[in-house]
Amino acid sequence: MLAAHLDPLAASIFSLITIASMLLSFVMLGSRWLKDYMYAFGIQSWLIALLSALVGYYGHYPELYLIAILTVLFRGLLLPYLVLRILRRLHVGRELHLVLQPSTSLIVGAICVIFSLVLAFRISTAIGFPENIVVLALTVMFTMKLVGFLILSIRHEAVSHILGLMLLENGIFLGSQILIPGMPILIELVVLFDLLVAVACFGVLIRYLMARVGSTSSLELKRLIG
Amino acid sequence: MITLCFTVVLIAPLIAVAGALLICRPRFAEYLNLLASIVVFLAAASLPFIVHTPLFFWHNYLFLDALGGWVALCTAVVYLLASVYAVGYMRLLASDKHLPGFYALFAGFAWTMLLAAFVNNIGVFWIAIELTTLVSTFLVGFERAAESIEAAWKYIIVVSAGITLALLGTVLLYWGGSLILGPSYDMTWQTLRDVAPHMNPVLLKLGFLLVLVGYGTKVGLAPMHTWLPDAHSEGPAPVSAMLSGALLNTAMLGIVRFLAVTDAAGIGWLPRTALVVLGILSVLIGALFIVRQEGVKRLMAYSSVEHMGILALGFGFGGVLGIAGALYHMLNHSLNKSLMFFGAGNVMRRYGTKEMLAIRRVLHEFPVSGLLWLAGAVAITGAPPFGLFLSEFSILRAGFSGPNLWAAIVMLVLLIVIFIGFLRHFGAMYFGRQPESAPKGTIISAWCVLPMWLALIPLLVLGLWWPDGLMQIFMNIAHGLMGGTS
Amino acid sequence: MLCDVLAQIAQVLAVMLLAPLIQGFILRYEERVQRSQGPSILQPYRDLWKLFHKQLVIPETSSWIFWAAPVVAFTSMLTVPLLIPVLTNYPLPLSNMGDILGGGLILTVGTFFINLAALDSGSAYGGVGSSRQVMLSILVEPTLILVFVGITLMAKSMLPFVVNHLLVANNAVFWSPTHLFLVLAFFILLLVETDKLPIHSSTHIEVYMIGEARILEYSGPLLGLLKWASMMKQFILYVIFCNVLILPWGLSIHGTVLGISGAVIALVIKLFLVGMIMVAVQTSQSRLRFYRYQEPLAASFLLAILAIIANQIR
Repeated sequence: MLAAHLDPLAASIFSLITIASMLLSFVMLGSRWLKDYMYAFGIQSWLIALLSALVGYYGHYPELYLIAILTVLFRGLLLPYLVLRILRRLHVGRELHLVLQPSTSLIVGAICVIFSLVLAFRISTAIGFPENIVVLALTVMFTMKLVGFLILSIRHEAVSHILGLMLLENGIFLGSQILIPGMPILIELVVLFDLLVAVACFGVLIRYLMARVGSTSSLELKRLIG
Repeated sequence: MITLCFTVVLIAPLIAVAGALLICRPRFAEYLNLLASIVVFLAAASLPFIVHTPLFFWHNYLFLDALGGWVALCTAVVYLLASVYAVGYMRLLASDKHLPGFYALFAGFAWTMLLAAFVNNIGVFWIAIELTTLVSTFLVGFERAAESIEAAWKYIIVVSAGITLALLGTVLLYWGGSLILGPSYDMTWQTLRDVAPHMNPVLLKLGFLLVLVGYGTKVGLAPMHTWLPDAHSEGPAPVSAMLSGALLNTAMLGIVRFLAVTDAAGIGWLPRTALVVLGILSVLIGALFIVRQEGVKRLMAYSSVEHMGILALGFGFGGVLGIAGALYHMLNHSLNKSLMFFGAGNVMRRYGTKEMLAIRRVLHEFPVSGLLWLAGAVAITGAPPFGLFLSEFSILRAGFSGPNLWAAIVMLVLLIVIFIGFLRHFGAMYFGRQPESAPKGTIISAWCVLPMWLALIPLLVLGLWWPDGLMQIFMNIAHGLMGGTS
Repeated sequence: MLCDVLAQIAQVLAVMLLAPLIQGFILRYEERVQRSQGPSILQPYRDLWKLFHKQLVIPETSSWIFWAAPVVAFTSMLTVPLLIPVLTNYPLPLSNMGDILGGGLILTVGTFFINLAALDSGSAYGGVGSSRQVMLSILVEPTLILVFVGITLMAKSMLPFVVNHLLVANNAVFWSPTHLFLVLAFFILLLVETDKLPIHSSTHIEVYMIGEARILEYSGPLLGLLKWASMMKQFILYVIFCNVLILPWGLSIHGTVLGISGAVIALVIKLFLVGMIMVAVQTSQSRLRFYRYQEPLAASFLLAILAIIANQIR
C-alpha cells in the first residue's frame, strides 16, 4: 500500500492538504451565507485535486494526473459555476430559518471528529498499519461523511443539500486517493461523470421546485405526510 | 444462443430510447416501447433456464449468472406489464407532446435496471444504481405538480445520500482487498469472494454494514425507507409498478452479493443478524403504517416496504429454503405489486382522488377488474392459494429452523396484523357505504385491464404449483451463494 | 543567583512600565489608519498620572471589597509575569510557583474580584456589567482550558518555558497543524479577553458596555489601578501569545545585562507587531450582536479540538 511506504516530506504534505480539507468542511458547516459555503467547497475540490496529482507523482500512477485535471475542471470550476448560476437565479442568500445555530453545529462537528478519530484508530490498529497518514486519511474521510450528513440534516435550502451531497462524495474521494490510489481509473472517471450528471439533474429539479412549489426551502415541502 | 439473448436484453431498451427521442411521435413511442418490452421479456425469460455457469462479457465488466438472470427476469416481467398498462394510462394522464419523453425515460429506466443486474464490478454496480436513481427521479416527478416535485426531490436527496454510504463501504472493502492482492486489481464479485477469508474481519464487517445501510436505503428497508411512500405514490401508476416491482429487487441484488462475500469469509453472526433486524423493522413499519393509511397508493407503497422486509428476512435466514423462498418471493411480489398499482391507477382515474375514504363501491364501477384487484389484495397479504403464500411459507420454514427464531415469530404476528389492516381498507372500498361525491366517468381502456389479467393468472398458477424447473434454478443459486470457496 | 532575582524584578517592572505604551500604540494607530491625528503614544501615562492625583470618592453603600478589588487585580497582574517567559527563556527563581494553568487562574482571580466589586456598590450598571462579563467568561473559559490542554499535549509539559524551547528548537512542530490551530484558537480568545472587536467596543453608552460598566463607580487612584491592571492584562496576554506560541525567539538566554536590554527591545518590537495586527482587526470589523457572541468562540473551540486531534495523529 502506498501509504505504508511514504517518505516523510510527502507524508507531511499529504497531512497538510488533508487537514486543510477537513477545516474547509467545517467552514462549510459553520457558514451562514451560501456563497461562502460554495467557495469553501470549490477550494476544497482544488485541494483534493492537488492531492490527487501529488499521489500520482509519489506513487508513480500517471493516470492520476488526468483524474486531478478532471477534478479541477468538474468539481473545482464547473460545479461552483453551476451552483452560482442557481444561486443568482433563486435570489437566495442564506438560510433563513436555522434549525441549529452555526456555532452549535460547529461543536457537534467537533464531537464527530472525535468519534471519527476513535474509529480510525481502532481500524488501523486492527489492520496493523498504525501509520499516521492512514489514521489521518480514515479520520478525515469519516469526518467529512459525518459533517456532510450533519449539513444534510440541519440545513433546509436545496443548494445546501446539493453541496452537502458533494461534500460526502469529496470525503470518499479524498480517502480513496490516499488509501487506494491504484483503483482502476475507469471507475474513477465514471464516478466523476456520474456526479456531473447528478448535479445537472439537481439543477433541473431545482428549477421545477422553484416553479411549482414556489421556494427551494425544504421547510415548504410538507404536503406528503403519513 | 445465450449471448444472443443477453445482447437482446440489453440492446432492445436502448433502441426504444433512441426511437422515442429521435421520432417524437407519441403513438410510435408507445408501440416501440411495448415492442421492446415484449422482446426483452422473451429473451430474459429464457436466461435463467439456460445459464448454468457464469459467463463473462466485455472485458469482465458484464457477466451473466443465474442470480442476475433471475432478477433480470423479474425486471422484464414488470417492464412488459407496465408498458402494456402505460399505453392506456398515459393517454389519460398527459398530453401527447410529453409522451415521447416519458417513454424515452421509461425505457431508459428499464435499461439501467437490467444493466445493474449484470454488472460484474462492484464500482460499476454502484454507478448503475446511481443511474437508476437519476433516471427514475424524472419519472417520479413527471406530473410536475407540487407534490410530485416534492416526492422527486426527497427521493433523489435521500437515496443519493444513502448510497454514498454504500460507496464508502465499497471503498473500504476494496482497500481491505488491496492489502492482500496489491494496489490494483479487478473489483469483481468473484475476486472479492476469493480474497474475503484472508481479509481483516474488522474491515469486512464495517464494509458490509455500510453497504447494507447504503443499498438498504435504495431497497427501502426501514428506517431508511422515508423516500419510498412519497416516490411510489406520486409517480404515475406504471412508474410506481416499475419502482416497486423491479427497482427494489435490483438493489436487493447488491446486498445479496455482498452477503455472499461475507459468508465466504465466515465472520460470524453479525451480517445476517443485521439484515434480519432491518427486515423485521421494515415489516413492523409497514404493518403500522398500513393499518392507519389514508391514500390508496401510499398503502401499496408501505406494502412494498413490508415485502422488502420479508425479502431481507428470507435472505437473512439463509439456507436453501430461505434463499429459494426469497427468490420466489421476488417474482411473486413483482407480479402482485404491479397488479395492485394498476388497479389503484384505474381507481384513481375513475374516482379522481387518492383518498381511500372517497373510493366506494368499486365493484359497481369496475365489475371485472375490480374482482381482479380484490384477488390481488387477498394475494398480497400472503393468503393462499396465491404465490406469495408459498414464498412466505418457505421463508418462515427457513426462519424456524435457523438461529433467528424470534424474527420468524415476530414476522408471523406482523403478517396477521397486515392481513387485517389491508383487508379492512379493501373491505371499506368494496363493501362500504356510499360517499357523497359520485365518480367521474373516465373510460378506462382495455390496455389498462389486460395487464391485470396477465399479472393475476401467473400469480395464481405459481401459487398452486411450484415448478420443478424453478426449484432447480433456486437451488443452483443458493448453492452458488453459499458455496463460497468450497 | 542575584542576576536571576534582578532579572525577575526587571520582568515585572517591564510589564508594569511598558503596558501603557502598547495601549497607547494601539489607540494611536487605530486613529492614524483612519487618517485622523490620534493621541500620542504616551497619553496613557499622562492619564494614569492624572488619575493618581485626583480625589477618591467612595459610595456609602460599598464594603471592603470596593477598595480591595483594584488592589487584588493589580497584584495578580504583577504576579503573573513571574511565571511566564517575558525576558528570559529559562525559568527564574519563583517561576515554579505556577504553570500555564496556574497563570490563567491568577489572571481570573483579578477579574473575579472586579466582578464582585461591581455588585458590591449596588448600582444597576455594575450588576449589568458583572452579569455580561460572567456570561462571556462562561463561553471563553472552557475554550481557554482546551487551548491550554492542547499546548500541554503538544509539549508534553505544563511549563511555558518547555513549550518555548520546543518551538524554537523544532521547526517541524512549529509548522505542524497542532501549533497553527492552537495559534488561531488562542488569537480568537485574545480578542475576547483584551476587549477588542468583534465582541467589545469602547463606548460611553452604558447599556452597550460589557465589562466597562463594572468600573463606573470608581474614581481617583483606585480607577488608576484598575485601568493599569487592564492594560497589564492585555500586555501579559500578548506576551504569552508571542513568547509561548507564535514568536518564541528574541529572549535572553544567559541573563546578562546586555541580553536583558536586548530582550526588552525585542519584546517591544514583537508587541508592536501584535499591536499592528490588533489595529487591523479593530478597523476591519464591526461589533457582533449579543446572540452571535458564541460564533467566534465556537470556532475557537473547534480549532482547539482539531489541534488536539491533530496532535494525536502526529
